[in-house]
Amino acid sequence: MEAPQYVAARVQQALAEDGRTHELGIRVDIRGDQLFLRGQVSGSEQRERLGQVAHETAPELHVHNEINVVEATEPGEDEHLD
Amino acid sequence: MSTLTDLRIAAVGDIHLGEDVRGQYRKKLVGIEERADVFMLAGDLTRHGTLEEGKLVADELRGLPIPVVTVLGNHDYHSDLEHEIADELRDAGVIVLNDDGVVIQCGEHKLGVVGGKGFGGGFAGKCASEFGEREIKNFVSHTRGIAESWKMALKEMEADQRVVLSHYSPIKETLEGEPHEIYPFLGSYLLAEAVDTAGADLILHGHAHKGSEKGMTPGGIRVRNVALPVLGRAYAVYCLTCAESPSHDEHQH
Ligand SMILES: [Fe+2]
Ligand SMILES: [Fe+2]
Repeated sequence: MEAPQYVAARVQQALAEDGRTHELGIRVDIRGDQLFLRGQVSGSEQRERLGQVAHETAPELHVHNEINVVEATEPGEDEHLD
Repeated sequence: MSTLTDLRIAAVGDIHLGEDVRGQYRKKLVGIEERADVFMLAGDLTRHGTLEEGKLVADELRGLPIPVVTVLGNHDYHSDLEHEIADELRDAGVIVLNDDGVVIQCGEHKLGVVGGKGFGGGFAGKCASEFGEREIKNFVSHTRGIAESWKMALKEMEADQRVVLSHYSPIKETLEGEPHEIYPFLGSYLLAEAVDTAGADLILHGHAHKGSEKGMTPGGIRVRNVALPVLGRAYAVYCLTCAESPSHDEHQH
């Protein structure tokens, strides 16, 4: 059986290189037959696509998509540089 | 007698826009002219660097009431359409820097901006060097060439305030939060060295989505990582204090 580290690396590479996602900052962890995705993206569609690509890359694993969708809020306080 | 005024710079990087979020970022820019004098984007405007995404970003930035300056990021290069994307942005009135500089008149002040995508290589003591295989030498010399262009552009620039706009990071402090193993792909100290040599008031970069906002070069120039996931808000505003510009005959020659 392929070591989980290599499977995780393969999934992470797929998330970065697949034309549907191109997401570089997603953390992939594998525990037994469970695969966990963590990180932040800007939209829920992107989160779903990442889950889909991860599933296709490692169909034998159960994918837990724990990616957060972070919406940029209003600009906050100014910083004065002096 | 001179009074002090602020030059307000709105900045963000890594907005990574796509069709599914069309129009949403633009909404966040409403009223930006009341908060800032200029808007700067630190690259990674798109996800895959396609022409469609480039056009979408151009639409989102078109016709803002303040000057908009951008550089491209690695994602914007992914489809080998960086020139086409830059053209789309320029058609929308956006200033696109590609290892060169521009001087923008902001009220009384001349704001100089120098920048480009930047590149990686790592940080002093733990970096790649121009030695060995051709591929490694090309990697390092790419960054070295960029740093050299920025240094020249800064030295030639006549402006009251100078800001460097990059995608890759010049320092490792603003990468804090990223895995150390990938630091060489996130930036290069050669960029900081060049800017420290030529001088600037602020360096803005993106690219490190999990990094930290604030840092400083070895020469004491403030660095801000403005990647959207780092800021967690639509853009940050940095105020540079300027002396009310003296009339030209007061300049030293
Ligand atoms: Fe990015
Ligand atoms: Fe990037």
